[in-house]
Amino acid sequence: MGKENHINTKKINVPLDLGVLYKVLDASVTGIVITDNLLPDNPIIYCNPAFEKISGYIRSEIIGHNCRFLQGKDRQQSERKIISTALGKGESCTVEIRNYTKKGKLFYNELYISPVKDESGQITHFIGIQNDVSSRRKSQQELELVQQETERKVEERTRMYRESQEYLSSIVETIRESLLVMDKDYKVLTANNHFLNTFKVSINETKGKLLYDLGNGQWNIPELKKLMEEILPTNNPVLDFEVKHDFPHIGKKLMLLNAHRIELEGRYKDWILLAIEDITDQRALQQRKDDFLSIASHELKTPLTTIVGYMQLMERMMPENASNKFKGIVEKTGKYVQRLNQLLSELLDVSRIQTGNITLHQEEFDFDKMVADAIESIRAATPSRKISLTGKIGRNFTGDESHLIQVISNLLSNAIKYSADNTPIEVQVSSISDFIKVSVTDRGMGISEDELSNIFDRFYRVGEVQKHYPGMGIGLYLCQQIITNHGGTIWAESQKNVGSTFNFTLPMH
Amino acid sequence: MKYKKILVCDDDQGILEMLELLLEEDGYQVVLEPNSVNALKTIERESPDLILLDIWMPMISGDQILRALRDNHKISSIPVLMYSASTDGKNIAESCGADSYISKPFDLTVLLEKIEELLKA
Ligand SMILES: Cc1cc2nc3c(=O)[nH]c(=O)nc-3n(C[C@H](O)[C@H](O)[C@H](O)COP(=O)(O)O)c2cc1C
Repeated sequence: MGKENHINTKKINVPLDLGVLYKVLDASVTGIVITDNLLPDNPIIYCNPAFEKISGYIRSEIIGHNCRFLQGKDRQQSERKIISTALGKGESCTVEIRNYTKKGKLFYNELYISPVKDESGQITHFIGIQNDVSSRRKSQQELELVQQETERKVEERTRMYRESQEYLSSIVETIRESLLVMDKDYKVLTANNHFLNTFKVSINETKGKLLYDLGNGQWNIPELKKLMEEILPTNNPVLDFEVKHDFPHIGKKLMLLNAHRIELEGRYKDWILLAIEDITDQRALQQRKDDFLSIASHELKTPLTTIVGYMQLMERMMPENASNKFKGIVEKTGKYVQRLNQLLSELLDVSRIQTGNITLHQEEFDFDKMVADAIESIRAATPSRKISLTGKIGRNFTGDESHLIQVISNLLSNAIKYSADNTPIEVQVSSISDFIKVSVTDRGMGISEDELSNIFDRFYRVGEVQKHYPGMGIGLYLCQQIITNHGGTIWAESQKNVGSTFNFTLPMH
Repeated sequence: MKYKKILVCDDDQGILEMLELLLEEDGYQVVLEPNSVNALKTIERESPDLILLDIWMPMISGDQILRALRDNHKISSIPVLMYSASTDGKNIAESCGADSYISKPFDLTVLLEKIEELLKA
């Protein structure tokens, strides 16, 4: 390693200059991260803007993670081993490793990692310096050449096609979406049949007219004006712009608008293509489904209340001399009624979140105590499982305590469900920069890479597991909603037959 | 302490019967009111020591009843324990001045504790 890359560790430990130092790092054009080696799994506590740029992730998605998230599913690289060996020995190392941006784009990362030691020689931090050297890679370059060549060819061909007016109009007519083409003064040049049919107008009433004059001014919509005159000139294209409008003849419509400014060299300039998707019915259907979920689960709760009540009365009034078999039956029934109740509550929550009705309470509470309480209640239910807790935040957090308890309980009960009875479960809490991080680790069956990317989806359940634990996978979905509503991130890391770690971070405002 | 009178107002017959059994078992005198429209009249007539009140009922909802009750000086000081199955039930109960709240389905032990607490006060 060249001298210029050697990091003077002493400076970092001098308290006076941290602010200045971070400013310098912030200005660097190479990616820089700092990890805290004294915290579990060596999480990132600092990253500079260049690192955000290289990786395509934003800071709140980076802090608290181990750097390996950049490897995505590409976990069989020998470089990985080189790094972990060097880190284990406390040495620095340089590797060129395949990494992936948030959008999934491959880049070759020339990575230099160096340990930071304190006076006693203990490694407290690691510093990582990243350079995207993709373009330097020869094979990559060749590939790019080929790619460029193909792109050029495709472009040439599409230009030929584009010039064929027929081709264009056939697209415009085939598409099942309303399309308008206008010149820069919003005069309509063409409208497709779908537009004419949906908005019940004829081509004569449309062609050559100004957009805002169409159909007695029914398109003179303030939001649309704003889109065309204020947003589109500086943001091209504008996608999925939602507009609600009450049309005189066809009634209330909810529309998604996509607008493109288009240009064909030498032919025309600043034309506008406006695509209008009518999502009125789709939205209504969504709403009806959510209403149904909400009403159904609410209605089901009423008889369930009676059942739960009688169940508990049965337990209270159980004769002393009742047989163990009978007691067992009553107990089992109680347990399954409780599970039914849990599922119903989750269903109710899902429909609430979907309709945006979930209210996050913002109250200050003792975060460490909340975690301890959540663990305690799970311990009470499964006393035989070993659940350990390490780390603490040591300060209050402002957020929705009862929802966060729900998240931790959910992660814990998953960990319990998906791992053998005699294996331990670890909960780790740490504060990282201005974030809280919580991790729940089990030594269970693990989750495959493919499944990992879906587990936070609504109603998703890990395939194999489904057979053993039937039910609806809305728990993790809810967790994700709750965490993202707090401005945090939640993610899972796992290795088949080794175990899984579920992590979340929360910003401490 | 015992033989206190509790009035339960709920449109669901199943819950009424279950609560009647539970409360009588625990030594309370129980009055049931399945029709929310009659609730205020029944409360005035029976003058119970405590009211258990469901929130979501047809015609007149629990929070409407409670607001009217608090405005009626003859019965305004009777403690009221509200309950419901919805997650915003607690907020509703707090905003209309319920003395206590419990969500459906109940944990009977918690319910009885809350009742005892309200009756002691
Ligand atoms: C300071 C630092 C920066 C790192 N930067 C990267 C990186 O940019 N890309 C990457 O793939 N791995 C990076 N790593 C390596 C991973 O974090 C991890 O140590 C490596 O994958 C080996 O561990 P594993 O086998 O547990 O994944 C970095 C490690 C440290 C300590």
